[in-house]
Formats: sequence, structure tokens, C-alpha cells
Amino acid sequence: MTIRKLPLEVSTGRAPLLEVDGLVMRYDTEAGEVSAVENVTFSLGRGEAMGLVGESGCGKTSVALSLLRLAPDNARYQGGSVRWEGVDLLDLSDQKMREFRWAEISMVFQGAMNAWNPVYRVGEQIREAMDQHFDPPLSSGNMDQRVERLFELVGLDPAVQIRYPHELSGGMRQRAVIAMALSCEPKLIIADEPTTALDVIVQAQILKELKEIQEDLGLSILYISHDMAVIAQVTDTLGVMYAGKLVEFGSTRDVFDRPRHPYSYLLLSSIPSVTGPRRRPVALEGTPPNLLAPPSGCRFHPRCPWATEQCRKDEPPMMQIGPSQWAACWHYEQVPEMGQQLP
Amino acid sequence: MIRYVTRRLIQMVFLFLVFLTVTWFLLYILPGDSVALKYAGNPNIPPEAREVALERLGLDKPVLIQFRDYMFNFFQGDLGVSFNQYPRPVIDIIGERLPRTLVLFLTALVTYYWAGFVAGKYLAWRRGNRGEMAVTIGGVGLYSMFLPFFAFMLIWFFSVRLGWLPISKFLDPEQWRDAPFAANQVFMRLFWVTLITAIAMFAASFAGHRTHSRVLARILRWGGGVLVIAGFLFYWFGTESGQGMRVYAGDIAFHMILPVLTLTLIAFAQVMLLTRSSMLETLREDYILTARAKGLPEGIIRDRHAARTALLPVVTSLVLAVATVIDGGVVTEAVFSWPGMGEILISSVLSEDIPVAVGAFAFIGILALIGHFVVDVLYGFLDPRIRVTEHG
Repeated sequence: MTIRKLPLEVSTGRAPLLEVDGLVMRYDTEAGEVSAVENVTFSLGRGEAMGLVGESGCGKTSVALSLLRLAPDNARYQGGSVRWEGVDLLDLSDQKMREFRWAEISMVFQGAMNAWNPVYRVGEQIREAMDQHFDPPLSSGNMDQRVERLFELVGLDPAVQIRYPHELSGGMRQRAVIAMALSCEPKLIIADEPTTALDVIVQAQILKELKEIQEDLGLSILYISHDMAVIAQVTDTLGVMYAGKLVEFGSTRDVFDRPRHPYSYLLLSSIPSVTGPRRRPVALEGTPPNLLAPPSGCRFHPRCPWATEQCRKDEPPMMQIGPSQWAACWHYEQVPEMGQQLP
Repeated sequence: MIRYVTRRLIQMVFLFLVFLTVTWFLLYILPGDSVALKYAGNPNIPPEAREVALERLGLDKPVLIQFRDYMFNFFQGDLGVSFNQYPRPVIDIIGERLPRTLVLFLTALVTYYWAGFVAGKYLAWRRGNRGEMAVTIGGVGLYSMFLPFFAFMLIWFFSVRLGWLPISKFLDPEQWRDAPFAANQVFMRLFWVTLITAIAMFAASFAGHRTHSRVLARILRWGGGVLVIAGFLFYWFGTESGQGMRVYAGDIAFHMILPVLTLTLIAFAQVMLLTRSSMLETLREDYILTARAKGLPEGIIRDRHAARTALLPVVTSLVLAVATVIDGGVVTEAVFSWPGMGEILISSVLSEDIPVAVGAFAFIGILALIGHFVVDVLYGFLDPRIRVTEHG
């Protein structure tokens, strides 16, 4: 048995696995500062599956990349903290951060095709990650065994490891990506649109397997998706992001049953229900705001059908609504009733 | 892979036949009476003498018969005799010139590809800082430089102003007066020794690249390099055959510095800019993000992931570089009075020494085809996606 590198000396064991507290991240661009992540706060416990949803460009991928400090060079962290078992990742040295990546948090990227380097065999690319994170290094026989076990775990023939990425189908590639993400026994996997490029059947299989693996290994997973159906199936908690802000956070069940932010409400109403009562899907009018100059007050007010003067002037804080639900809306109490009045 | 290589070889032979045919006919229809003008050196020779001359050169036969004879003889290694240096066989002239050109241009090619690739790699990696900007702009400047002008400037600076390097030619006749070797023997030796050294270096760095153990990689890369260089030096200083030839080989190498420098500086910029843009594109790929997320060290991301994939278009450009070597060669050899293939190509065409011209073109064609072939095989080797489609 080999010992994995533990890059963090401090490990309280009591704190939640991951706590993101008031994270502010902006991109420096030629046109000005883009406020991509604004005061985002959430936490994720061991073995928990969390979802992060929102429109394209709402900052969900920026949040995910921030957890590994992988955001592009022009990203500026301007406040808040990302604490992993009590240690602020934003304070780690580059070397420590490098050791931390994949050993503790790994990632399943959006579009598995491009996640593989086309010129190396799949197995080689997995071994490459294991080369970095085991101390003492794994022997090559040990490594072969591990890769084989990983492939069996994700339902792939171990012979696939000597294939090149372009020789695999989309589903196989995505499974191999999951195997790679598991290779260094991380505690958290970030799954950024893990099934977007796949057909519905393969999508369902992979989600089911991922869920099983998560439960078997006691992993935490952060799902990032714009697909509500996916999120509903696999997550315990759910965060809804709009224009760089987390507007609602809570248990997946609560948020789906009683959304308290107008944006979550409209987002959910825009999905036609197959099994529920027949109703007309509601369209969410307008376009996401320009983050170079975000709207004053509540960032959602220009598109919100119920916006008031207060919404235009003052930014609503995250307010606790139930035992496991928070929303950032001045009128959260009236959201469900107001929804009934919509055409 | 074997099937692919055989198919390529057959294609090459066919292509060469077409090339040779076209070249032969093109040069045959050149206007002018090469016999009257050049062979006798006298446009007013008596008709009888002219007849004799034509008959002796085989020029009295019909075109197609001449062509047939040429082709048959060609593949038996007989390329005819030169009109200007009658009766010296063409193959003899080419045999004398080819090694000189090969040594010069292979040295330049390897130098500038290697330097250009490494420079481009670092430029892309450090994009945005001031040094990178300066080098890129300098590169564009060199790239757009007119070769003969640049060559003359370098000759003026290094040979005339500073007096460090020889102005032209490939050896110093004073030194070679009692030489026990012909210049060409030395050229051939230089060619083989350098080629073997280069291949050994490449093999060592390649093996270092493939292995997973970081320690072994370092040992292979540095140790291999040192060992190869030691072997190279041992050959010239330690062995008997090397010691005898060393002075003469050194003289030739000394004369090569300036032409190689000229070619390298101009072509290096092109490779550097190409690598830079190719690598910048690669750096935006998702698999670079994956590599970062995996916690790989920056050096591995740069060399194993980004540069390795960015190499592909650069290797493609090597095909074009083979052509540049030939036509750049004509100009460079003329500027430096380097008596190689480019030089006989010009002189034979200008003086209508048709057999020499056809022979020179044929060998340049062979070089270009070999260049293409090497790149094709190399590409199949470097890009697994190509390898598979070629099987299917």
C-alpha cells in the first residue's frame, strides 16, 4: 500500500470538506473588469453531491476553476476564501497547489473529447497523473493494476488503456475521463457538464454509474450543469447562480419544490413537466446582463417580472428561509404566490 | 505501417519517373544549339565536324529514341557525359558536388529547426512579456529579410570588418596543398559522422521523452547527450582515421560557419514564428487545462503536452523547408561561391550543358522526394490519428 501525498499539514477533520466564503473573482480584460464571481458562499460536506446551475456565462465554471485555482491568467481573486478542510487554498504556494490538484480535488471536464491529449494513449495519460501524486512513487506493476481496477470500476475493458483517445466512442471517453479523475483517490470530483456531449441513453448510464461510484467510495461531487433534469437526479444540495452571484442555495428537494428566488422559479417553470399537471412552460424574457457593468441592486431586476424600487437600489443579502434553504431576494416570501399569477 | 511505407515508396518511384520525364523534355526543348555553341566553342565549325560531334553525343537520333536511351541508362547509373567538361561523366560531377551541398544544408536544416522550435516554444509559453514581444518582432524582421542582401551583410561584417571568417569557398587551398585526402572524402566522412551524431542525439532525447521515470529521463537526456558528444570528439581526436582528417574537416567546418549562420538566421525565424503560433493555439486546448488540473509540473505541461502537439504543423513545414533548402541553396551557394549542387545547376542551365542540368535536377528531385518521405513517416509516427486512417 502506498501513501498518498497529503499536501496540507492542517487537517481539523471537523470542518466541512469545502467551504467557499464570500468568494470574489474578476477577470481583467481590455474592455474593463468582468465581475465573474461575486460574493459566492456555500459549503460542501463529505460524501455530498452538490449541483451548481445557471445560464452559460453565469460564473459556474469560474467557481469550479477557482476551487483548483485554474482560472485563466487574467483572473483576480479580490476577496473571500476557499477553505479545504480548514485551509485556505488561495493562500497555498503554487507548488503546494500543484500537489493538491487531483490528489484531493479532481475534475471531469466538459466535452471529454478535448480533455484528452490526442497523441498519447489513454492509459499513459492516467499514469501521468499517478506519477505525480504518490509518495513513494508507484511501481509500474502497481500502476498497471490500479489502472485496470479503475477501468473495471467505470465499466470499461482494461484493454482500452492502450488505445488513443480518437479510437474511443464518446461514452467510452467520458468513462475513461472518470477513471482518470478517480486515479489519485480524490475526496471531491468536480463534474463540469459531464454528460453534455453524449446521447441521452449513455448520459443516463454514466450518471447512474457516477452516482454509484460516489456512494461506494464516499466521494463528494460538485456537478456543474445547465441541465436541471441531470441535477435533480444526482444531487443532494443545489446552488443556483445568476450573473456571477449565487442567488439560491439549499437542499435539492427544497429548491425544486419551493424555489424562493424568482430566477430559480422561472428557470424551473421553463421546463415542461412530463408527469405533473399540464401547464404552459414560462419563457424567461431578456438576456443575461453584461458583467462589465452589472445592474445595480439585485442583478436580476431588469428581467424580474416582480422587481420593485428596492430591488433596483439595494442588493439583497442571502437570507435563510428554511432549515436548509437560502435565497437572495427581497420578496422571497411572495415568490410562489406571485408565480401563480403569471400567464 | 509497413504497408503504408511500401505504398509510399512505390508512389515515390512513379512520381520520380514523371518528374524525370517532364524535366528531360523541358530541357530538351530549350532553344539554342548547345553543340555549336558550347561543345566546339565555335559557332562556325564546319558541317562535317558538327555531324561528327552530334553523332558522338548521340544527338543525331530521334527525340524519343534519345529519351528511351536516357531513361535506360539513367537507371543503370549512367547519366551521360557533360558537354562542357567532355568527356567527364555527369554522375562523376554530381558525386563530387552532392556531399558538399548535403553537409551544408543538413547542418543548417537541423540547426534552424531545432533552434526555431525551442525558441518558439518558449515564446509561446511566456507570451505577453516584453522580451517575448522583442524577440517576436525581431523574428518577423529576420523572416522578411532578403536572403542575398542578408548574406552580403554578414559577409561584410564577419569577414571584411572583423576578419574572423572566410569570405567564400569551402576550403583554404593553401592548407590543402599536400593533403592526403580529396576534399570529397572529407566531406563524406563529415556527412556520416555528423549524421550518426545527430541520430544518436535524437534517439537519446526521444528515449528520455518516452520514459515515465523522471530520473531516468534526465539521465537519458543529459547523459545521452554528453555521451554522444564525447563519442563525436573521441572520433576526431582519439581514433587514427579521425586524427588524420581532423585538420581538413576543421577547415571545411570553418568555411561552413557563415553560410550555415545565414541560412539558420533567416529560416530559424520562420520556424520560430510557426511554432509560436501553433503552440499558442495548443495552449488554449482543453487537454492543457486537464494537464494543469492533474497537477503536472509546468515543464511537463509545456514539453510533453503543449510542445509535443504543437510540433505537428512544424513537421509539416519541414517538407516545404526541403524545397527551400534547394532553392535557397542555389542563391546561398552562389553568394558564398560554394561549389555544390546549386552552383552547377545555375552554370549548367546557363551554358546549356543539358546532361548535367538534367542530372542535377534529377538528384534534387530525389532529395525532395526523400525529404517528403521522411516527413510522411515521421508524421505517422508523431500523430496517432494519421497512423490509423492510413491503415483503413
